[in-house]
Amino acid sequence: MFHVTFYIRRLHSICGIVPMGLFLLEHVLTNAEALGGPAAFNEAIGKIALIPHDIMLVIEIFGLAIPFLFHMIYGLYIALQAKNNPSQYGYTRNWQFALQRWTAIFLFVFLIIHVVDLRIFTKGGGTPISYALLDQMFNNMGWFILYLAGMIAAIFHFCNGVTTLCMTWGIAKGPRIQTFIGRVMMLVCVLLSLVTIAFMAAYKMH
Amino acid sequence: MSEQKTVHFIIERQDSPDSKPYTEEFLVPYRPALNVVAALMEIQKKPVTKDGKKTTPVVWECNCLEKVCGACMMVINGKARQACATLVDQIPQPIRLAPARTFPVIRDLQIDRSVMFESLKRIQGWVEIDGSWEVNTAPIQNPYTAATAYEISHCMTCGCCLEACPNVGPQSDFIGPAPTVQAYLFNLNPLGKFDKEKRLNALMEKGGITSCGNSQNCVEVCPKDIKLTTYLAQLNRDVNKQALKNIFNK
Amino acid sequence: MSKKNIIVVGGGLSGLMAAIKICEAGGELKLFSYCPVKRSHSLCAQGGINACMNTKGQNDTTWEHFDDTVYGGDFLADQTAVKGMCETAPKLIKMFDRMGVPFTRTAEGVLDLRNFGGQKNKRTVFAGSTTGQQLLYALDEQVRKWEVKGKVKKYEFWEFIKIIKNDKNVCRGIVAQNMNSMEIEAFSADAVILATGGPGVIFGRCTASTICNGSAVSAVYQQGAEIGNSEFIQIHPTAIPGSDKNRLMSEACRGEGGRVWTYKDGKPWYFLETMYPAYGNLVPRDIAARAIYDVCVNQGLGINGENRVYLDLSHIPAEYLERKLGGILEMYSEFVGDDPRKVPMQIYPSVHYSMGGIWVDTKHNTNIPALLASGECDYQYHGANRLGANSLLSAAYSGTISGPEAIRWSESDEIGDELTDVQLAAAKQACVDDFESIISMNGIENAHELHHELGDLMNKYCTIVRVNKELDYCMDELKKILARWNDIGVSDKGHWANQEAMFVRQLRNMILYAMVICKAARMRDESRGAHYKPEFPDRNDEKFLKTTIASYNTETHEPEISYRDFDHSLIKPRPRRYDVAKGGK
Repeated sequence: MFHVTFYIRRLHSICGIVPMGLFLLEHVLTNAEALGGPAAFNEAIGKIALIPHDIMLVIEIFGLAIPFLFHMIYGLYIALQAKNNPSQYGYTRNWQFALQRWTAIFLFVFLIIHVVDLRIFTKGGGTPISYALLDQMFNNMGWFILYLAGMIAAIFHFCNGVTTLCMTWGIAKGPRIQTFIGRVMMLVCVLLSLVTIAFMAAYKMH
Repeated sequence: MSEQKTVHFIIERQDSPDSKPYTEEFLVPYRPALNVVAALMEIQKKPVTKDGKKTTPVVWECNCLEKVCGACMMVINGKARQACATLVDQIPQPIRLAPARTFPVIRDLQIDRSVMFESLKRIQGWVEIDGSWEVNTAPIQNPYTAATAYEISHCMTCGCCLEACPNVGPQSDFIGPAPTVQAYLFNLNPLGKFDKEKRLNALMEKGGITSCGNSQNCVEVCPKDIKLTTYLAQLNRDVNKQALKNIFNK
Repeated sequence: MSKKNIIVVGGGLSGLMAAIKICEAGGELKLFSYCPVKRSHSLCAQGGINACMNTKGQNDTTWEHFDDTVYGGDFLADQTAVKGMCETAPKLIKMFDRMGVPFTRTAEGVLDLRNFGGQKNKRTVFAGSTTGQQLLYALDEQVRKWEVKGKVKKYEFWEFIKIIKNDKNVCRGIVAQNMNSMEIEAFSADAVILATGGPGVIFGRCTASTICNGSAVSAVYQQGAEIGNSEFIQIHPTAIPGSDKNRLMSEACRGEGGRVWTYKDGKPWYFLETMYPAYGNLVPRDIAARAIYDVCVNQGLGINGENRVYLDLSHIPAEYLERKLGGILEMYSEFVGDDPRKVPMQIYPSVHYSMGGIWVDTKHNTNIPALLASGECDYQYHGANRLGANSLLSAAYSGTISGPEAIRWSESDEIGDELTDVQLAAAKQACVDDFESIISMNGIENAHELHHELGDLMNKYCTIVRVNKELDYCMDELKKILARWNDIGVSDKGHWANQEAMFVRQLRNMILYAMVICKAARMRDESRGAHYKPEFPDRNDEKFLKTTIASYNTETHEPEISYRDFDHSLIKPRPRRYDVAKGGK
């Protein structure tokens, strides 16, 4: 009667862009500072730290944690309702559909590890995030690969999400515009991934 | 007489809804323009497997054999399609036939698609008229809109789009592309649009259009080339507007 | 007190139309169908539906439609019935329009009309090239609405086996079988409407769906229903021969300039143009069919010695073909694999429609009280030959008559007592016993092979050209096939979705119906409409301006043929000639 499913689905769709997509972009940009060396990176981190702790906590809980948890948990439910079949129907969009779900499941695990490790234990434990800390962490090849994969998965999930959002909200109706948006977003996906690979590589370069 | 050319079929069979599937292989004499239904008919006439074992004729559903009734949909070499319109010359051999397991299997290649007809009830798939007696002259219609309606009205409830859709199946409650898009057909009609709100609200329910995940397999496999994804996007637009109306107009 | 409980067998255009009328009259019905009703054979009709809409400035009248239909039917149709149909046609179109049928429209938004064979005026309303599909869907949707309201209970995938009569010989129920669970059940009703379609499959390959086997008609014929004009089988001249079925290749191909030819002495021979210089490739269906038959069978000039000739469009610019015939040509490419824009199509005439069927009066009552028949399974409206685009009309119209008539039966005292539980149980048991004996058949014949032989036989002797001596031979062979039926072996002994056993039962009905067609053709010593005998090339109104009536002889299993007068009081019979221009009628 009240179309609960409908509103949850639409909310889920928006959450993917605001705040999650924006937060992802912020991550890419901030971390890209690592390309400028330790000082530049630490300065960027420092700027964020200027936000008063209480306000930051409110933002973190209501602006990030709750939307993230909602998107992740409901998203997992959606992902589990699909029987992915790109091997049978190998069309581009179907591969993207399947990848969206595979990345979803991977990101669900990755984000929990990432947040629990860095935000709750490290930062919550009083150790500030710094270039040196990450550098040490990425010395371990396992962490390095996990984070690189996590970033690229998130970027793909976000970019493809924008494409499907344009369909779900009825913004792009015909096949031509849908294909166009899909290609633009995949281009964005490649660019962001290259940036990510570059700054991740920066840790390995010296 | 040179040796008779044959076509090799590997058919996934199942004796009843609950029994275990098994495969049987058949060799069917080749002839030009042989299609999958014609080959199954040959098996009916001579139900003997490749190894010479006598078996029961393969059970499947077919009516028109002209790709308008939608009955003979099955999975051929991994893809859902109409068996009657599948020429053996155009696909690689051996040809693998399997039932469309998105639906409950009745026997062999025969499946139960009644869920699709139930979905048509759910979206109120009809124009509400007072009666079949004489009432009024029907309103004139924009010929271009009528042409769009004609395209959508080709949907023969075959179930290809449901079989290909990763979001349709026992694991999900999605009614599937075909019945969803039918709602748009009736919303286009000058009389049918009187009930547009009802249909859009029905699509906002669980299992309605929100379950579409944009894999877009539907439009690829539709044997009638209906632009399903375009109409799904249009319906998305319509339900979003309807949602705003539901919130702000009451 | 009565619930007006009606059974409709068949969910095509006629059955669904009757269903709607019954629901509107407050009745409740059980709708039995072989397949989901949305997959019924009505959807194969392509061209359109005739109705005098008179929107093309041609002063078209319903009388003109009436006259064309009677003339086209070579004066063998009941004229009161035809007149009623033609007068109702425009109202039916408006009803379909309101139901949402996506008819093709003019720039102004009104229904477009097209030309069709045997009619001077534009009178054919159409929805692209899938008119039947669109009409059927509209009725299917309306019936679904009634289903939601609880007035219709659908029994899809149930096969009709036979009717049940009460002590007063009134039809008060049916026995049917669930095609999946194989359970056989008896159902009682106030009246029963059969709308089970044509018998094309008796001829093996034809343009009909695989479900059009005439089995239900044959079953009631064996229970005493009379069959009328069964010898009149329409042959469509241009169909794509196939091993599974013959697919219709629309008359529009010839209309758009297609040429029919075959090789003679190594050179293309455009035989229609040679034989009929006035009309050339545009001769009517029966003439074209006969000419192609003559060239292939009598002169042995079919392509590679097979029964096929070319229908050639390859000389016409591809872009013109695309615009005029696009969809149809795609169908040819799809099913044959060749591109008709580049290569001539190979075609041959095919059995297309049965004008004959269960004899009914103008209210669609059969000779068995409370048993009605409508649609292609009845004999009404088309006489000796059907005009194109009149079949959808007769199907829909007959439903608007049979439905209310069934309601009238349900309200009348004439129907006598409801079937008792004992009667129902006895009828059911008889069918169960029959079915069990079929399942246990262990002979050497394969039912599908036998059906193939039946089809070949009927195609050879009972289609385009009929010769008495050959019909006698055909009848003898049919008797042999009937005897061989007893020697069928059923390989599937199961009791779940056993299509083979059901087919064996249908096959017997088909053989008996085939005998009706053959015998009726044998007895009519004249040529009229679709029935052509070179020995009797002229129409003989003195002797044969009568309806052929076939009734079943339970002893010999053969039909007994008699002739019955019918109403031809409105338009006086005149010669039907297409070899010269029709002129003023």
